[in-house]
Amino acid sequence: MPALSLPRSFRPGLTLGGLIDGRGFDTLLVMTALGYLAVFSAWPLVYNLIMSLQEVDLFSLASFDRPFVGLGNYRDVLGAPEMPQIFRNTAVFVAASVSLQLAIGFALALFFELRFPGASFLRGLFLAGWIMPPLVVGAIWSWILAGDFGVLNYALKSLGIIDENIFWLSDPARSLWSVIIANIWLGVPFNLILLSVGLAGIPEDLYEAAEMDGATRVQRFFTITLPLMRAQLGAVISLGTIFTLQQFDLFAGLTQGGPSNSSNVMQYWSWQLSFQEYQIGLGSVISVLMIGVVVGLAAIYVRSTRHEQVY
Amino acid sequence: MTQLQIELDGVDKHYGAYHALKAIDLAIPKGTFVALVGPSGCGKSTLLRTIAGLEKITGGEMRIAGANMTGTPPRKRDLAMVFQSYALYPHKTVRQNLTYSLRLKRMSRAEADRKAEEVARITGLEQLLERYPRELSGGQRQRVAMGRAIVRNPKAFLFDEPLSNLDAALRVQMRAEVRRLHDRLGATSVYVTHDQVEAMTMADHVVVLRAGRIEQQGAPMELYDRPANRFVAGFIGSPATNFVPGRTTADGSAVQLDLPGTPCVPVAGAAPDRPVIAGLRPEHLQPCDPDRPGALQLPIAVVEATGSQSFLVSDTDPALTICLAGRSPVVPGGTLAAEIAPHLVMLFDPDTGAALR
Repeated sequence: MPALSLPRSFRPGLTLGGLIDGRGFDTLLVMTALGYLAVFSAWPLVYNLIMSLQEVDLFSLASFDRPFVGLGNYRDVLGAPEMPQIFRNTAVFVAASVSLQLAIGFALALFFELRFPGASFLRGLFLAGWIMPPLVVGAIWSWILAGDFGVLNYALKSLGIIDENIFWLSDPARSLWSVIIANIWLGVPFNLILLSVGLAGIPEDLYEAAEMDGATRVQRFFTITLPLMRAQLGAVISLGTIFTLQQFDLFAGLTQGGPSNSSNVMQYWSWQLSFQEYQIGLGSVISVLMIGVVVGLAAIYVRSTRHEQVY
Repeated sequence: MTQLQIELDGVDKHYGAYHALKAIDLAIPKGTFVALVGPSGCGKSTLLRTIAGLEKITGGEMRIAGANMTGTPPRKRDLAMVFQSYALYPHKTVRQNLTYSLRLKRMSRAEADRKAEEVARITGLEQLLERYPRELSGGQRQRVAMGRAIVRNPKAFLFDEPLSNLDAALRVQMRAEVRRLHDRLGATSVYVTHDQVEAMTMADHVVVLRAGRIEQQGAPMELYDRPANRFVAGFIGSPATNFVPGRTTADGSAVQLDLPGTPCVPVAGAAPDRPVIAGLRPEHLQPCDPDRPGALQLPIAVVEATGSQSFLVSDTDPALTICLAGRSPVVPGGTLAAEIAPHLVMLFDPDTGAALR
């Protein structure tokens, strides 16, 4: 088939016209994105993977020529005495944070969907928690939760719920839950906003049709709202889990993983190993393991957004 | 005596200060097809949603099959609604869309499936039962919306402009199909449309609304032949009625029209010597011998020919539309002599718009 003779500016190539109008510009955009990903995402991931197989300390950090130890670092991490507790803490931290953030966020989203006067203004106020740096949030919560002068103890005592001060941050049975409470507070706005957007996207007449079909309010929630929110719920759960696995600042601000690892989690432990004990190979191992989990969650997220409803 | 299925007595609807429905009286006997028609914002959809219970009335009373419905929620009214957008459940297959209401009533899955299949046969959806709404064409979605209403065997069907999203050819086809289904099911239907042709062709009883008030209601031909006021005369019939100001003669046998040459058109039974607005339907104006008494001499500005009909627009103030069968005898720039039978001239009060005969 003879090639169509295109005007000069439409021809691909590196002429100036081609760069602006033609395929050259598309190529430029794609290469920019790919280049960014390669330099700032792919390379660090690969470098991290390599470090997890090497013995890395402060002295060998600057050179790439380091002794390979095979899976030795993995054996060290998985066999460490604190490993079972930290793993359990991480699971509790993620499960409790994500499920309670979701429940509270969804309940608030449904509440604001009632469109009472001032609803959108009040919903906007919930974003305040999002604007604040997490380290600051951690510092504020450490005052709220403080055993001797904290406002939470004061409130609970005034209400007659407790008689004695609870040492939230230094009691090993409570320290992890202190961070979970702060993290739920931090994560609710994200859940609220994303789920509100999803709820707003469900056409009103579907609810009316269901109402005419004889569905009660509760039935409408379970047969219309919930199935139509599947994509948003999938997105919020997978993104929420990823954000929770990233949560570092609150641990730094509240408990530093203590006392005696009672509130330590994988991501904080990884940092401690790499940047406090300078066993960078061991820290990298935890990163690699967590990357595996996050990639799996990201796959679920991509799948759930692909199935978004078209009305 | 026929049983009344839906009755409205002085129904009012306010949205804050806005008075959306004003003292609506409506009695719909069982088995009737009622069309609510009017321009946008006239309250016809609000009236339908009020009957459905999706809007609460703020005054008056409404009864379905004799029972007062004022405080009854929509799900207990046993009415089925077909929405303009169809409002099909996007996450449910056609079968699940059809059985949803039955399953809510705790009907067994087998029984619900059997009913859904029966309705699918009536509406021609048999091959589509396992499809999702997004996989259907507009016409098929429309059928699912109808099927979902039929399967419930409700006390009445409520249609909210159900055909307005279809293309013109399909709309004409579905018009007849909806009416056939109504007759076959012996149903009571309330049908909202802005298209007076739909209302006229489908309904037994047409209700013309304007600004929240019923302007006139009655059989389609009654509205066409004896419009209660100028608004109904202008709204019913296509192309729209020509309105020409004028004055009746001293003996009331003719109207002096305010047109070039001030033609004097004979009318039947008019009040003598008073200002009027004459309503002349385009299809009632017919060509005649220019020397006939009462003939209008109309310079023609535009001729729109469709083959079966020709629409002529006169170069006068106000411009008159004349609708002729077949081809136009004149070309633009020519003059048409036209007359109208005395009993077909409609007369309205210039101030109130009310019909004078």
